[in-house]
Formats: sequence, C-alpha cells, structure tokens
Amino acid sequence: MSYLSISHVTKQFGDAVVVDNFNLDIEKGEFVSFLGPSGCGKTTTLRMVAGFEIPTSGKILLDGADITDKAPNQRNVGMIFQSYALFPNMTVAQNIGFGLRVRKESEAMIKQRVDEMVSLINLEKHANKYPYQLSGGQQQRVSLARALANRPQVLLLDEPLSALDAKIRVSLRAEIRAIQKSLGITAIFVTHDQEEALSISDRIVVMNVGEMEQVGTPFEIYNFPKTRFVANFVGSLNTADAEVVDPAKGLVSMDGVQFEAAEGTDARKKGDKVKIAVRPERFSFASEQKKANVVDCTIENITFLGAVVRIQVKIGNTKFNMDTFNNPFLELPKIGAKEQVTCSKEAVLVLDE
Amino acid sequence: MASEKIRKVVEMSGISIDLRVGKGRGRKSWSLSRLGTRFWSWFWFILGALYFLLPLYATLNFSLRMERDVIGFKAYIRAFEDPEFLKTFLYSNVLALLTIVASIILIVPTAYWIRLRLPEARRIVEFITLLPFVVPAIILVFGLIRIYSSPIKIPFTDATLFQPLTTFEVGTDILIVAGYMVLGLPYMYRSVDTGMRTVDVRTLTEAAQSLGASWFTIIVRVILPNIRAALLSGALLTFAIVVGEVTLASFLGVPAFGPYLFLLGQHRAYEPAALSFASFLLTWVAMGLIQLFTGGQGQAAGAH
Ligand SMILES: Nc1ncnc2c1ncn2[C@@H]1O[C@H](COP(=O)(O)OP(=O)(O)O)[C@@H](O)[C@H]1O
Ligand SMILES: [Mg+2]
Repeated sequence: MSYLSISHVTKQFGDAVVVDNFNLDIEKGEFVSFLGPSGCGKTTTLRMVAGFEIPTSGKILLDGADITDKAPNQRNVGMIFQSYALFPNMTVAQNIGFGLRVRKESEAMIKQRVDEMVSLINLEKHANKYPYQLSGGQQQRVSLARALANRPQVLLLDEPLSALDAKIRVSLRAEIRAIQKSLGITAIFVTHDQEEALSISDRIVVMNVGEMEQVGTPFEIYNFPKTRFVANFVGSLNTADAEVVDPAKGLVSMDGVQFEAAEGTDARKKGDKVKIAVRPERFSFASEQKKANVVDCTIENITFLGAVVRIQVKIGNTKFNMDTFNNPFLELPKIGAKEQVTCSKEAVLVLDE
Repeated sequence: MASEKIRKVVEMSGISIDLRVGKGRGRKSWSLSRLGTRFWSWFWFILGALYFLLPLYATLNFSLRMERDVIGFKAYIRAFEDPEFLKTFLYSNVLALLTIVASIILIVPTAYWIRLRLPEARRIVEFITLLPFVVPAIILVFGLIRIYSSPIKIPFTDATLFQPLTTFEVGTDILIVAGYMVLGLPYMYRSVDTGMRTVDVRTLTEAAQSLGASWFTIIVRVILPNIRAALLSGALLTFAIVVGEVTLASFLGVPAFGPYLFLLGQHRAYEPAALSFASFLLTWVAMGLIQLFTGGQGQAAGAH
C-alpha cells in the first residue's frame, strides 16, 4: 500500500474537465514532480491533495486514510506557493511558529522548533525581520520552514521557484531537494520547467490538458519518452516526417534518406506515415568506423550556447540541430561544408504522426 | 515623506492618485525637461494645496476676531462653554463609533468572502456601495421614515414584532446608525477591499488553512492585522461623515452635532467658524495618529 494514493481523480469546473482520471501512487519519502505546460491541470491536482478543491470523482488516500473531502485545515499537509504567501504582519520566527501556535503547542516547544527550522534554512540572523525586509529567495525559504515546522505528512510545492532569478532558482532547488531528502518527507513539486523537474525529482508525471502522459524517473522520461508530447516537451528534439520502409528491420525513410530505428516500427506496416525524432545531443560527426545511421549533410549554422555548441545541419531537405560539448580544442567545420553525421539506432524515435 | 504618507492614505481609501512629487525623482541627472516637469508638478501641487488651505485660513482668521481689534480665542471659549455643544458632540461621536463597529462587522466578512469565493459578485457589490453617491441622503431618510414609522410585523402574520422604530429613542438610534452605515459604505468598502487586494488575502488564507488555522483564527490573526491601515482610514472617513452629517440627523430628530452646528450657524457668526476650524484640527490630528500607529504596518503590507 503506497503512502499517498490518488486514484481515478477527475475535476470539472462547470463543463470543463480540467483533470481527467488521474492515477498516482506515491511512496513515503518520494519526491514527485508534476510537469506540463501552463493550464494543464497541475495546480488543480495539487490543490485537491491540499484540500482547496474537492474532486468531482475519485479518491485520495493519505497513509491509509481517505482525505478526499477533508477540509484543508484538517489535513496535515504543507503547502508552498509561488508568491511565498508569508504573513506580512509577522516576523520570520512568528511566521514559522504560526502553525504550532494554531495547534496550541507550548511556548517552549514552539521556540525550540522555530530555532530548529530557522537554522535548517540558515536564516538565524533574520529571525526577527519582517518578510518585506528579505529577498525573494529568503522569503521562499521561510515559507518552506513554516510548512515543515508542522511536520506535515506531505509537502506540496506549486511552482515555488518561478518568481526567482535564474541563479537563486538553481541553488534553492538544490537546497529544497537536500532538505527533503534529509527529513525523508514526501513531496509533490509542480513546475512547467523541464530542467527543474529532471534535476530534482525521483519521479516525474508529465501532464497535458488534464491527462497524464507518462510517469517515470527523469532518466526514463528523457531517454524513453512514450508519447510525442513527452518527447517534445522534455528536452529539445528534432522531428521530421517519414515513412516506414521495412518494419521488421526498423527502416524508415525521410525524403529518401534512410534511418534505422531500434524500436517503434514492429507494430506498423510498410508505407505508414510516421514522425521520426532525434535529440540534438545524440548526433555526432561520423568517424571512420562505420556505424548504423551515417548520413550526408551540409553545415548550415553554428551557435555557441556556453557548455554546448549547437550545429545546424541539413539532411536531405530537413534541418536538424546537433549538440556537441564545447572545449577549446574542438575543431568545427566551416559553414556550407559537406560532412557526415551519425546517430545510434536507439536514438531514432519513431512516433505517431 | 509627507507626500508618501498622503499617497498611502489616499490609496487606502480606494482612490489612486500619484502624488510622488519630487521624491526620488530629482536624484537622477538634471536635464532641462526634467526641471520643467519638476516645476509644473510643484506648480499644480501648490495650486491644489492653496485651494484647500486658503478657505481654512480664512475661517481661522475670522474665528479669531470675535472681539473688535483683538486677535483672541473668545469664539472658541464661547463655543466650548455651551453645554449643548458637548452633549451633541459626544452623542455624534458615539453614533460614529457604533457606525464604524457595525460597518466593520458587516463589511470585512463581506469583502473577504467576495475576494475569496465570489469574485464575480464584485462588480455588483461595488455598484451597490456607490449608490449613496447617487441617491441623496434626503431620499434615504424619507424611505427610512416611511418604512419604519409603522410597526414591524412577523412576515405573513399580524403579530407585531417591534413598535415603530421612529417612536422610541433606541429605535431611532438604530435607524440612524443603519443610515450612516449606508452613507459610509463607499468609503469603508473601498478601503477594506483595497487593503485586501494589496495583501492578496486569498493566498494568505490558503497558507493559513494549510497550517491548520480555523476561519476565526484566519480572520483575527491574519486578515484583520494586515488590513489595519485600511480599516483605520475607512473608519476615519466614516467618522468625518457622521460627525458633520445634518440631513439624516435633523429629519430623524436626534440631538446630533451636525444639526447643532447648523442652527448655530444661523444665529451666530464667530462660533461656527471656531467649531469648524476645531473639527478640522481634530481630523488632522486623528490622521496623524493613524499614520503613527500604522506606519510600519502599512509598509509591511505595501511591500508584498
Ligand atoms: N476555480 C476555477 N474555475 C474554473 N476554471 C479553473 C479554476 N481553476 C483552474 N481552472 C482552469 O483549469 C485549467 C487548469 O488550471 P491549473 O490547474 O491552474 O493549470 P496549471 O497549474 O497546470 O497551469 C485552466 O484552464 C484553468 O483556467
Ligand atoms: Mg499552476
């Protein structure tokens, strides 16, 4: 029996089905991300776990107890908002102690727990400041401490980093993950940023217009996307129209250029229209030893992106991106040069058109 | 700093005017056009200030000249010595306090609920709160008298629940406080609503709920403290309206300060001027006190 179980949950607002038959089992101590574009129902799903919305149908079980219809203040669930939502009239310490005070804990116990939390987020020096005296990153850490002070059964984070600068976003997400691991707390993290989801999660749920597209580890989601939506949304992807040539051998043709795919063609027939997809980093220049997919191309453009160099190549009539790691000894071809690039069979994804 | 404070008070009353003259603007390079802008903003500011200050000065000046060729406080002493003054003034103050308390009890939960659960009702409620600007007080008071000068019955029966409210004192007090609540509605509702907008009560409420707080705790510990400045400015405006109000008070025949001042104005020259100026002073002191009490708090809310 899993710790948090969301089963067959559907949510409608009027006629609009915003979350459709959502099923997910989360283990204790697991960090799960909901990833998807804006408006796909991530927040609504999270709010149903928090109790701010009641599912139209379906059940939510937490540690064996049915919490589907319980009021938010009757569940022991911590919530972190994008806008921090600190109480402006209270200091950092008072904010963190709020939940404990509501539960009528003793002042001594509150003080001890608040001190513990303040040092957990490294804000000892700021305990008596008001929220408006803190930076955004500090405020979000306070909000994390405030939620954790109550020892919630589940921690829910709704795009907690979206309002912060890029640098702080990266350091704070590492901090959130480290704290979550050290406390062994179960967490659900909502984001529309695939890099964030990939870097922080044990598992990712990719969502699209109210439906779950795929559930898996970051490794699975990135390397083995099950649907075209997931492949497109997570990481960058080259796609092109193609036609199945030989289903048994995995051969597909893109304007006469043949690619061999490891899987995805078995269930299709010769002549079926498909999309092929290859991630930019799976391409490389062909060396002497012959590999599976070696194709001719023309160099179109070269862009430095810092750690990687993105080379645009034209294969047949289609432009593809190819990424290589940057290094000072890299020998780059000239624009307009004719080259050969290659990718493994496994790198070629065959998807529905 | 002073203009910053004025701006805050004005903002809290739901009317937004940008009064940031000078402050922080002059620090950048002094180009000619910037100088021009600065000149014109001061020009309009001073013109506006004069518009308010000149009549005030005239009143003060006049009130100090009760005795021929002497500048003195005779008019003030005379006005304050009249026992009717104290009686009516206290009575109006009590009415004002009751109105403020009743308005807060009615309006805070209403505005809160609308922000939280019924955002689509906002426009209707806003329209209703503006009605006192459109419907004159005289119509309100005749409506009240017409309805409440007959006994109040239990609906669908002939049993009398109350004597006509206009026939006994407490009844009339209830009527007039209710009427004043209507007159103060635009100011109180808008102040409270603006206050709630600046602190995003919806998210704060959810944060408090997820921490286990009940509705009562949320309103008392989270919402009220964060709209304190707005409540005070709404209360101040309501107070100012009630203490000077004449129409409702005279037609309902209550011994209030407004009608007293009105009568005095018909028979005396200097005392009404003295009282007008004194009440102005009182209002300004009250405003100053509010700023003193809410300075830090308002900033905390504003910085959200
Ligand atoms: N209270 C509500 N009433 C009506 N529609 C809503 C409500 N809350 C959310 N929606 C709609 O549900 C959809 C999903 O919203 P949301 O869960 O916030 O998406 P996400 O968090 O993935 O961006 C959106 O189209 C949104 O407009
Ligand atoms: Mg959202």
